[in-house]
Amino acid sequence: MGKYDFSWRIIEEHLPELMKGLIITLQISVAGMAFALLFGLFFATLRFSQYRVLNVISNSIVQVGRSLPLFVLLFWIYYGLSLKFKINFSDFQAGAIALGITGGAYMAEVFRGGIKAIDQGQSDAAFAIGLNRMQTSRLIVLPQAIRIILPQTVNIYVGLLKGATIVSVIGVSDMIYVAQYVSLETFRPFELYSFAGVVFIALTLSVASFAWLLERQLSGKSRRG
Amino acid sequence: MDSSVPLFDFAAVWSSRTLLLEGFGIAMFCATAAIILAMIIGLLIALMRLSNSRFLRGFAFVYTQLFRGVPLYVLVIWVYFGLAIVADINLPKIPAGIITLALLNSGYLSETFRSGILAVNIGQSEAAAAIGLTKRQIKRYIVLPQAFRIVLAPSGNQFVDAIKDTAILSIIGVPELMRMAQQQADLFYRPFEFYTTAGILYFIAVMGVTKLFSFIEKKMNRIGFTNGSQKVANVGEYI
Repeated sequence: MGKYDFSWRIIEEHLPELMKGLIITLQISVAGMAFALLFGLFFATLRFSQYRVLNVISNSIVQVGRSLPLFVLLFWIYYGLSLKFKINFSDFQAGAIALGITGGAYMAEVFRGGIKAIDQGQSDAAFAIGLNRMQTSRLIVLPQAIRIILPQTVNIYVGLLKGATIVSVIGVSDMIYVAQYVSLETFRPFELYSFAGVVFIALTLSVASFAWLLERQLSGKSRRG
Repeated sequence: MDSSVPLFDFAAVWSSRTLLLEGFGIAMFCATAAIILAMIIGLLIALMRLSNSRFLRGFAFVYTQLFRGVPLYVLVIWVYFGLAIVADINLPKIPAGIITLALLNSGYLSETFRSGILAVNIGQSEAAAAIGLTKRQIKRYIVLPQAFRIVLAPSGNQFVDAIKDTAILSIIGVPELMRMAQQQADLFYRPFEFYTTAGILYFIAVMGVTKLFSFIEKKMNRIGFTNGSQKVANVGEYI
Protein backbone atom coordinates (compact mmCIF):
# COMPACT_ATOMS: atom_id res chain seq x y z
CA MET A 1 0.00 0.00 0.00
CA GLY A 2 0.92 3.60 -0.13
CA LYS A 3 2.14 3.33 -3.66
CA TYR A 4 -0.86 5.17 -4.95
CA ASP A 5 -1.82 8.48 -3.40
CA PHE A 6 -5.36 9.39 -4.08
CA SER A 7 -6.18 12.74 -5.50
CA TRP A 8 -9.87 13.38 -5.52
CA ARG A 9 -9.25 16.95 -6.61
CA ILE A 10 -9.13 15.60 -10.13
CA ILE A 11 -12.90 15.03 -9.95
CA GLU A 12 -13.46 18.60 -8.89
CA GLU A 13 -11.30 19.93 -11.69
CA HIS A 14 -13.05 17.92 -14.37
CA LEU A 15 -16.54 18.10 -12.93
CA PRO A 16 -18.02 20.19 -15.78
CA GLU A 17 -16.86 17.69 -18.41
CA LEU A 18 -18.07 14.74 -16.36
CA MET A 19 -21.47 16.38 -15.92
CA LYS A 20 -21.66 17.05 -19.64
CA GLY A 21 -20.99 13.33 -20.13
CA LEU A 22 -23.67 12.46 -17.62
CA ILE A 23 -26.19 14.52 -19.55
CA ILE A 24 -25.31 12.64 -22.74
CA THR A 25 -25.76 9.37 -20.84
CA LEU A 26 -29.21 10.51 -19.71
CA GLN A 27 -30.10 11.70 -23.21
CA ILE A 28 -29.11 8.45 -24.87
CA SER A 29 -30.93 6.37 -22.27
CA VAL A 30 -34.10 8.44 -22.73
CA ALA A 31 -33.84 8.22 -26.53
CA GLY A 32 -33.26 4.47 -26.20
CA MET A 33 -36.29 4.18 -23.92
CA ALA A 34 -38.44 6.05 -26.44
CA PHE A 35 -37.42 3.55 -29.14
CA ALA A 36 -37.99 0.71 -26.68
CA LEU A 37 -41.55 1.85 -25.97
CA LEU A 38 -42.30 2.13 -29.69
CA PHE A 39 -40.77 -1.25 -30.57
CA GLY A 40 -42.31 -2.88 -27.56
CA LEU A 41 -45.81 -1.62 -28.21
CA PHE A 42 -45.54 -2.50 -31.88
CA PHE A 43 -44.41 -6.09 -31.32
CA ALA A 44 -46.80 -6.65 -28.43
CA THR A 45 -49.68 -5.53 -30.65
CA LEU A 46 -48.51 -7.88 -33.39
CA ARG A 47 -48.60 -10.76 -30.94
CA PHE A 48 -52.27 -10.14 -30.32
CA SER A 49 -53.04 -9.91 -34.01
CA GLN A 50 -55.42 -12.43 -35.59
CA TYR A 51 -52.86 -13.44 -38.18
CA ARG A 52 -50.66 -16.30 -37.07
CA VAL A 53 -47.80 -15.22 -39.34
CA LEU A 54 -47.56 -11.88 -37.56
CA ASN A 55 -47.59 -13.60 -34.17
CA VAL A 56 -44.75 -15.87 -35.16
CA ILE A 57 -42.68 -13.09 -36.72
CA SER A 58 -43.04 -10.78 -33.75
CA ASN A 59 -42.33 -13.61 -31.34
CA SER A 60 -39.09 -14.50 -33.13
CA ILE A 61 -37.95 -10.90 -33.30
CA VAL A 62 -38.56 -10.48 -29.59
CA GLN A 63 -36.65 -13.69 -28.86
CA VAL A 64 -33.69 -12.59 -30.95
CA GLY A 65 -33.71 -9.12 -29.40
CA ARG A 66 -33.63 -10.60 -25.93
CA SER A 67 -30.83 -13.01 -26.75
CA LEU A 68 -28.33 -10.59 -28.26
CA PRO A 69 -25.94 -8.83 -25.91
CA LEU A 70 -26.17 -5.05 -26.14
CA PHE A 71 -22.45 -4.99 -26.83
CA VAL A 72 -22.88 -7.12 -29.95
CA LEU A 73 -25.85 -5.03 -31.12
CA LEU A 74 -23.81 -1.84 -30.78
CA PHE A 75 -20.96 -3.16 -32.88
CA TRP A 76 -23.30 -4.80 -35.34
CA ILE A 77 -25.24 -1.60 -35.97
CA TYR A 78 -22.38 0.88 -35.81
CA TYR A 79 -19.63 -0.99 -37.64
CA GLY A 80 -21.44 -3.87 -39.34
CA LEU A 81 -24.44 -2.15 -40.89
CA SER A 82 -22.72 1.08 -41.76
CA LEU A 83 -19.90 -0.59 -43.62
CA LYS A 84 -22.06 -3.15 -45.38
CA PHE A 85 -25.05 -1.10 -46.42
CA LYS A 86 -23.60 2.38 -46.17
CA ILE A 87 -26.13 3.33 -43.52
CA ASN A 88 -24.14 5.82 -41.56
CA PHE A 89 -25.61 6.25 -38.15
CA SER A 90 -23.88 8.64 -35.83
CA ASP A 91 -22.52 7.02 -32.68
CA PHE A 92 -25.35 8.51 -30.67
CA GLN A 93 -28.01 7.23 -33.08
CA ALA A 94 -26.47 3.75 -33.19
CA GLY A 95 -26.35 3.66 -29.40
CA ALA A 96 -29.95 4.79 -29.03
CA ILE A 97 -31.14 2.22 -31.58
CA ALA A 98 -29.21 -0.60 -29.93
CA LEU A 99 -30.63 0.36 -26.53
CA GLY A 100 -34.06 0.62 -28.13
CA ILE A 101 -33.87 -2.90 -29.61
CA THR A 102 -32.74 -4.49 -26.34
CA GLY A 103 -35.24 -2.56 -24.27
CA GLY A 104 -37.98 -3.03 -26.85
CA ALA A 105 -37.68 -6.80 -26.76
CA TYR A 106 -38.26 -6.70 -23.01
CA MET A 107 -40.96 -4.03 -23.25
CA ALA A 108 -42.88 -6.22 -25.71
CA GLU A 109 -43.09 -8.91 -23.05
CA VAL A 110 -44.09 -6.38 -20.41
CA PHE A 111 -46.85 -4.95 -22.61
CA ARG A 112 -48.05 -8.41 -23.51
CA GLY A 113 -48.14 -9.47 -19.87
CA GLY A 114 -49.95 -6.29 -18.87
CA ILE A 115 -52.58 -6.60 -21.56
CA LYS A 116 -53.08 -10.30 -20.89
CA ALA A 117 -53.49 -9.66 -17.19
CA ILE A 118 -56.67 -7.70 -17.81
CA ASP A 119 -59.65 -9.94 -17.27
CA GLN A 120 -61.36 -11.01 -20.49
CA GLY A 121 -64.66 -10.05 -18.86
CA GLN A 122 -63.64 -6.40 -19.07
CA SER A 123 -63.51 -6.39 -22.87
CA ASP A 124 -66.59 -8.60 -23.07
CA ALA A 125 -68.48 -6.11 -20.97
CA ALA A 126 -67.17 -3.24 -23.08
CA PHE A 127 -68.33 -4.97 -26.27
CA ALA A 128 -71.68 -5.68 -24.65
CA ILE A 129 -72.32 -2.00 -24.01
CA GLY A 130 -71.47 -1.30 -27.63
CA LEU A 131 -67.85 -0.07 -27.67
CA ASN A 132 -65.88 -1.03 -30.73
CA ARG A 133 -62.45 -2.75 -30.67
CA MET A 134 -60.53 0.52 -30.75
CA GLN A 135 -62.57 2.09 -27.97
CA THR A 136 -62.28 -1.03 -25.83
CA SER A 137 -58.49 -1.00 -26.13
CA ARG A 138 -58.18 2.72 -25.53
CA LEU A 139 -60.76 3.26 -22.79
CA ILE A 140 -60.98 -0.06 -20.97
CA VAL A 141 -57.91 -2.27 -21.41
CA LEU A 142 -55.01 0.20 -21.69
CA PRO A 143 -55.78 2.32 -18.61
CA GLN A 144 -55.86 -0.83 -16.49
CA ALA A 145 -52.82 -2.33 -18.17
CA ILE A 146 -50.74 0.79 -17.55
CA ARG A 147 -51.11 0.30 -13.82
CA ILE A 148 -49.51 -3.13 -14.15
CA ILE A 149 -46.94 -2.05 -16.72
CA LEU A 150 -45.60 1.14 -15.20
CA PRO A 151 -43.38 -0.26 -12.42
CA GLN A 152 -41.84 -2.82 -14.77
CA THR A 153 -41.25 -0.12 -17.35
CA VAL A 154 -39.29 1.92 -14.85
CA ASN A 155 -37.25 -1.19 -14.05
CA ILE A 156 -36.46 -1.61 -17.72
CA TYR A 157 -35.38 2.01 -17.85
CA VAL A 158 -32.97 1.28 -14.99
CA GLY A 159 -31.58 -1.55 -17.10
CA LEU A 160 -31.13 0.76 -20.08
CA LEU A 161 -29.47 3.37 -17.89
CA LYS A 162 -26.91 0.80 -16.83
CA GLY A 163 -26.65 -0.45 -20.39
CA ALA A 164 -25.98 3.11 -21.54
CA THR A 165 -22.59 2.94 -19.82
CA ILE A 166 -21.20 0.73 -22.57
CA VAL A 167 -22.08 2.99 -25.50
CA SER A 168 -18.68 4.62 -25.02
CA VAL A 169 -17.17 1.61 -26.83
CA ILE A 170 -18.46 3.02 -30.11
CA GLY A 171 -17.34 6.51 -29.18
CA VAL A 172 -20.39 8.18 -27.65
CA SER A 173 -18.93 10.82 -25.36
CA ASP A 174 -20.88 9.81 -22.27
CA MET A 175 -19.64 10.02 -18.69
CA ILE A 176 -17.60 6.81 -18.94
CA TYR A 177 -15.96 8.10 -22.09
CA VAL A 178 -15.06 11.34 -20.33
CA ALA A 179 -13.72 9.38 -17.35
CA GLN A 180 -11.65 7.36 -19.79
CA TYR A 181 -10.00 10.22 -21.61
CA VAL A 182 -9.47 12.32 -18.51
CA SER A 183 -7.79 9.33 -16.86
CA LEU A 184 -5.54 8.94 -19.87
CA GLU A 185 -4.50 12.57 -19.47
CA THR A 186 -4.12 12.55 -15.70
CA PHE A 187 -3.31 8.89 -14.90
CA ARG A 188 -6.11 8.86 -12.34
CA PRO A 189 -8.32 6.00 -13.54
CA PHE A 190 -9.24 4.86 -10.05
CA GLU A 191 -10.74 8.14 -8.87
CA LEU A 192 -12.55 8.81 -12.12
CA TYR A 193 -14.12 5.39 -12.55
CA SER A 194 -15.04 5.25 -8.89
CA PHE A 195 -16.76 8.59 -9.21
CA ALA A 196 -18.63 7.40 -12.29
CA GLY A 197 -19.60 4.21 -10.46
CA VAL A 198 -20.94 6.11 -7.44
CA VAL A 199 -22.93 8.47 -9.66
CA PHE A 200 -24.47 5.50 -11.44
CA ILE A 201 -25.29 3.66 -8.25
CA ALA A 202 -27.01 6.79 -6.92
CA LEU A 203 -28.85 7.26 -10.19
CA THR A 204 -30.07 3.69 -10.63
CA LEU A 205 -31.00 3.34 -6.97
CA SER A 206 -33.09 6.48 -7.01
CA VAL A 207 -34.91 5.47 -10.18
CA ALA A 208 -35.38 1.95 -8.85
CA SER A 209 -36.80 3.17 -5.56
CA PHE A 210 -39.14 5.38 -7.56
CA ALA A 211 -40.37 2.21 -9.30
CA TRP A 212 -40.81 0.57 -5.93
CA LEU A 213 -42.84 3.51 -4.61
CA LEU A 214 -44.92 3.51 -7.77
CA GLU A 215 -45.62 -0.18 -7.41
CA ARG A 216 -46.81 0.25 -3.83
CA GLN A 217 -48.89 3.26 -4.71
CA LEU A 218 -50.56 1.67 -7.72
CA SER A 219 -51.20 -1.70 -6.15
CA GLY A 220 -52.73 0.05 -3.13
CA LYS A 221 -55.04 2.00 -5.38
CA SER A 222 -56.16 -0.99 -7.38
CA ARG A 223 -56.91 -2.92 -4.23
CA ARG A 224 -59.13 -0.13 -2.95
CA GLY A 225 -60.76 0.52 -6.30
CA MET B 1 -18.53 -0.60 -53.01
CA ASP B 2 -15.95 -2.16 -55.30
CA SER B 3 -17.80 -4.64 -57.51
CA SER B 4 -14.99 -7.19 -57.34
CA VAL B 5 -15.54 -7.53 -53.58
CA PRO B 6 -18.47 -9.81 -52.79
CA LEU B 7 -21.19 -8.23 -50.65
CA PHE B 8 -21.28 -11.07 -48.18
CA ASP B 9 -18.21 -13.09 -47.56
CA PHE B 10 -18.43 -15.58 -44.77
CA ALA B 11 -15.28 -17.39 -45.93
CA ALA B 12 -13.24 -15.21 -43.58
CA VAL B 13 -15.49 -16.22 -40.70
CA TRP B 14 -15.10 -19.86 -41.62
CA SER B 15 -11.34 -19.56 -41.72
CA SER B 16 -11.29 -18.15 -38.17
CA ARG B 17 -13.82 -20.64 -36.85
CA THR B 18 -11.45 -22.20 -34.33
CA LEU B 19 -10.71 -18.82 -32.77
CA LEU B 20 -14.38 -17.91 -32.59
CA LEU B 21 -15.34 -21.26 -31.09
CA GLU B 22 -12.52 -20.95 -28.58
CA GLY B 23 -13.88 -17.54 -27.62
CA PHE B 24 -17.35 -19.03 -27.38
CA GLY B 25 -16.03 -21.73 -25.06
CA ILE B 26 -14.31 -19.17 -22.85
CA ALA B 27 -17.48 -17.06 -22.72
CA MET B 28 -19.57 -20.05 -21.68
CA PHE B 29 -16.97 -21.08 -19.11
CA CYS B 30 -16.91 -17.58 -17.60
CA ALA B 31 -20.71 -17.42 -17.47
CA THR B 32 -21.05 -20.87 -15.91
CA ALA B 33 -18.32 -20.37 -13.33
CA ALA B 34 -19.69 -16.93 -12.47
CA ILE B 35 -23.26 -18.13 -12.04
CA ILE B 36 -22.20 -21.00 -9.77
CA LEU B 37 -20.20 -18.60 -7.61
CA ALA B 38 -23.02 -16.10 -7.70
CA MET B 39 -25.52 -18.72 -6.50
CA ILE B 40 -23.33 -19.58 -3.51
CA ILE B 41 -22.76 -15.92 -2.58
CA GLY B 42 -26.37 -15.04 -3.37
CA LEU B 43 -27.70 -17.75 -1.05
CA LEU B 44 -25.44 -16.58 1.77
CA ILE B 45 -26.52 -12.98 1.30
CA ALA B 46 -30.19 -14.00 1.14
CA LEU B 47 -29.85 -15.94 4.41
CA MET B 48 -28.10 -12.94 5.96
CA ARG B 49 -30.96 -10.68 4.95
CA LEU B 50 -33.42 -13.02 6.60
CA SER B 51 -31.34 -13.49 9.75
CA ASN B 52 -32.06 -12.03 13.16
CA SER B 53 -28.84 -10.06 13.41
CA ARG B 54 -29.28 -6.41 12.57
CA PHE B 55 -25.69 -6.15 11.42
CA LEU B 56 -25.92 -9.05 8.99
CA ARG B 57 -29.19 -7.74 7.63
CA GLY B 58 -27.71 -4.30 7.10
CA PHE B 59 -24.60 -5.68 5.43
CA ALA B 60 -26.65 -7.87 3.09
CA PHE B 61 -28.91 -4.96 2.20
CA VAL B 62 -26.00 -2.70 1.28
CA TYR B 63 -24.33 -5.51 -0.65
CA THR B 64 -27.46 -6.16 -2.71
CA GLN B 65 -28.11 -2.50 -3.46
CA LEU B 66 -24.48 -1.87 -4.35
CA PHE B 67 -24.08 -4.68 -6.85
CA ARG B 68 -27.51 -4.21 -8.36
CA GLY B 69 -26.82 -0.55 -8.90
CA VAL B 70 -23.32 -0.57 -10.31
CA PRO B 71 -22.97 -0.91 -14.09
CA LEU B 72 -20.97 -3.91 -15.27
CA TYR B 73 -18.64 -1.67 -17.25
CA VAL B 74 -17.56 0.17 -14.14
CA LEU B 75 -17.38 -2.95 -11.99
CA VAL B 76 -15.16 -4.87 -14.39
CA ILE B 77 -12.73 -1.98 -14.67
CA TRP B 78 -12.77 -1.56 -10.93
CA VAL B 79 -12.01 -5.25 -10.26
CA TYR B 80 -9.34 -5.55 -12.92
CA PHE B 81 -7.54 -2.20 -12.72
CA GLY B 82 -8.84 -0.75 -9.45
CA LEU B 83 -7.84 -3.66 -7.22
CA ALA B 84 -4.39 -3.65 -8.76
CA ILE B 85 -3.96 0.05 -8.01
CA VAL B 86 -5.47 0.13 -4.54
CA ALA B 87 -4.63 -3.23 -3.04
CA ASP B 88 -1.89 -4.48 -5.34
CA ILE B 89 -4.01 -7.48 -6.27
CA ASN B 90 -3.18 -8.35 -9.86
CA LEU B 91 -5.84 -10.75 -11.03
CA PRO B 92 -5.42 -12.47 -14.38
CA LYS B 93 -8.05 -11.47 -16.93
CA ILE B 94 -10.33 -14.50 -16.88
CA PRO B 95 -10.59 -14.78 -13.07
CA ALA B 96 -11.17 -11.03 -12.88
CA GLY B 97 -14.00 -11.41 -15.38
CA ILE B 98 -15.52 -14.33 -13.52
CA ILE B 99 -15.35 -12.51 -10.17
CA THR B 100 -16.95 -9.42 -11.68
CA LEU B 101 -19.84 -11.36 -13.17
CA ALA B 102 -20.24 -13.35 -9.96
CA LEU B 103 -20.44 -10.19 -7.82
CA LEU B 104 -22.95 -8.55 -10.12
CA ASN B 105 -25.18 -11.61 -10.45
CA SER B 106 -25.00 -12.45 -6.75
CA GLY B 107 -26.70 -9.13 -6.03
CA TYR B 108 -29.64 -10.05 -8.23
CA LEU B 109 -29.73 -13.71 -7.20
CA SER B 110 -29.77 -12.88 -3.49
CA GLU B 111 -32.98 -10.91 -4.04
CA THR B 112 -34.43 -13.78 -6.07
CA PHE B 113 -33.48 -16.30 -3.39
CA ARG B 114 -34.85 -14.12 -0.64
CA SER B 115 -38.24 -13.82 -2.27
CA GLY B 116 -38.11 -17.53 -3.10
CA ILE B 117 -37.52 -18.39 0.55
CA LEU B 118 -40.28 -16.03 1.63
CA ALA B 119 -42.63 -17.57 -0.93
CA VAL B 120 -42.49 -20.95 0.82
CA ASN B 121 -45.66 -21.24 2.83
CA ILE B 122 -45.14 -20.40 6.52
CA GLY B 123 -47.23 -23.45 7.43
CA GLN B 124 -44.35 -25.59 6.20
CA SER B 125 -41.93 -24.21 8.79
CA GLU B 126 -44.58 -24.31 11.49
CA ALA B 127 -45.34 -27.95 10.76
CA ALA B 128 -41.64 -28.74 10.80
CA ALA B 129 -41.21 -26.94 14.12
CA ALA B 130 -44.20 -28.84 15.46
CA ILE B 131 -42.62 -32.22 14.73
CA GLY B 132 -39.51 -31.05 16.55
CA LEU B 133 -37.01 -30.01 13.89
CA THR B 134 -34.50 -27.38 14.88
CA LYS B 135 -34.30 -24.02 13.11
CA ARG B 136 -31.31 -25.16 11.11
CA GLN B 137 -32.98 -28.41 10.11
CA ILE B 138 -36.10 -26.55 9.01
CA LYS B 139 -34.01 -24.32 6.70
CA ARG B 140 -31.99 -27.22 5.40
CA TYR B 141 -34.67 -29.87 4.84
CA ILE B 142 -37.96 -28.01 4.52
CA VAL B 143 -37.61 -24.44 3.29
CA LEU B 144 -34.58 -24.42 1.00
CA PRO B 145 -35.56 -27.48 -1.11
CA GLN B 146 -38.94 -25.92 -1.80
CA ALA B 147 -37.48 -22.49 -2.41
CA PHE B 148 -35.08 -24.07 -4.89
CA ARG B 149 -37.95 -25.04 -7.17
CA ILE B 150 -39.43 -21.57 -7.02
CA VAL B 151 -36.19 -19.83 -7.92
CA LEU B 152 -35.23 -22.22 -10.71
CA ALA B 153 -36.83 -20.23 -13.54
CA PRO B 154 -35.51 -16.81 -12.47
CA SER B 155 -32.06 -18.32 -11.92
CA GLY B 156 -32.20 -19.55 -15.49
CA ASN B 157 -32.90 -16.00 -16.62
CA GLN B 158 -29.95 -14.82 -14.59
CA PHE B 159 -27.73 -17.39 -16.31
CA VAL B 160 -28.91 -16.04 -19.65
CA ASP B 161 -28.00 -12.52 -18.55
CA ALA B 162 -24.59 -13.72 -17.43
CA ILE B 163 -23.94 -15.23 -20.87
CA LYS B 164 -24.90 -11.95 -22.53
CA ASP B 165 -22.79 -10.00 -20.07
CA THR B 166 -19.63 -11.93 -20.94
CA ALA B 167 -19.43 -9.79 -24.09
CA ILE B 168 -18.54 -6.79 -21.92
CA LEU B 169 -15.54 -8.66 -20.49
CA SER B 170 -13.81 -7.99 -23.80
CA ILE B 171 -13.14 -4.50 -22.43
CA ILE B 172 -10.43 -5.83 -20.12
CA GLY B 173 -9.18 -8.20 -22.80
CA VAL B 174 -10.70 -11.51 -21.78
CA PRO B 175 -10.33 -13.54 -25.00
CA GLU B 176 -14.03 -14.39 -25.19
CA LEU B 177 -16.27 -14.50 -28.25
CA MET B 178 -16.80 -10.75 -28.69
CA ARG B 179 -13.10 -9.99 -28.32
CA MET B 180 -12.23 -12.63 -30.90
CA ALA B 181 -14.93 -11.36 -33.25
CA GLN B 182 -13.62 -7.81 -32.86
CA GLN B 183 -10.05 -8.82 -33.63
CA GLN B 184 -10.99 -10.93 -36.63
CA ALA B 185 -13.39 -8.27 -37.93
CA ASP B 186 -10.58 -5.72 -37.87
CA LEU B 187 -8.16 -8.15 -39.45
CA PHE B 188 -10.38 -9.07 -42.40
CA TYR B 189 -12.26 -5.78 -42.48
CA ARG B 190 -15.50 -7.74 -42.40
CA PRO B 191 -17.32 -6.44 -39.31
CA PHE B 192 -20.81 -7.30 -40.55
CA GLU B 193 -20.04 -10.98 -41.09
CA PHE B 194 -18.13 -11.42 -37.85
CA TYR B 195 -20.59 -9.60 -35.61
CA THR B 196 -23.50 -11.40 -37.23
CA THR B 197 -21.79 -14.71 -36.53
CA ALA B 198 -21.09 -13.67 -32.95
CA GLY B 199 -24.73 -12.70 -32.57
CA ILE B 200 -25.87 -16.06 -33.90
CA LEU B 201 -23.59 -17.89 -31.47
CA TYR B 202 -24.90 -15.87 -28.50
CA PHE B 203 -28.43 -16.56 -29.68
CA ILE B 204 -27.76 -20.31 -29.82
CA ALA B 205 -26.25 -20.27 -26.32
CA VAL B 206 -29.13 -18.28 -24.86
CA MET B 207 -31.76 -20.44 -26.54
CA GLY B 208 -29.97 -23.59 -25.39
CA VAL B 209 -29.90 -22.47 -21.77
CA THR B 210 -33.52 -21.27 -21.89
CA LYS B 211 -34.66 -24.61 -23.31
CA LEU B 212 -32.57 -26.52 -20.76
CA PHE B 213 -34.09 -24.68 -17.82
CA SER B 214 -37.66 -24.99 -19.07
CA PHE B 215 -36.99 -28.71 -19.60
CA ILE B 216 -35.79 -29.10 -15.99
CA GLU B 217 -38.78 -27.14 -14.79
CA LYS B 218 -41.19 -29.31 -16.75
CA LYS B 219 -39.52 -32.45 -15.41
CA MET B 220 -39.98 -31.21 -11.86
CA ASN B 221 -43.57 -30.24 -12.47
CA ARG B 222 -44.30 -33.69 -13.81
CA ILE B 223 -42.86 -35.37 -10.73
CA GLY B 224 -45.10 -33.09 -8.72
CA PHE B 225 -42.32 -31.08 -7.14
CA THR B 226 -43.79 -27.73 -7.93
CA ASN B 227 -45.39 -25.84 -5.10
CA GLY B 228 -47.95 -23.63 -6.64
CA SER B 229 -47.79 -20.83 -9.08
CA GLN B 230 -45.62 -18.36 -7.18
CA LYS B 231 -42.90 -17.26 -9.47
CA VAL B 232 -40.37 -14.60 -8.84
CA ALA B 233 -40.27 -12.01 -11.55
CA ASN B 234 -36.97 -10.50 -12.44
CA VAL B 235 -37.86 -8.63 -15.54
CA GLY B 236 -35.77 -5.58 -16.24
CA GLU B 237 -32.58 -6.79 -14.69
CA TYR B 238 -30.97 -7.86 -17.83
CA ILE B 239 -28.20 -5.70 -19.09
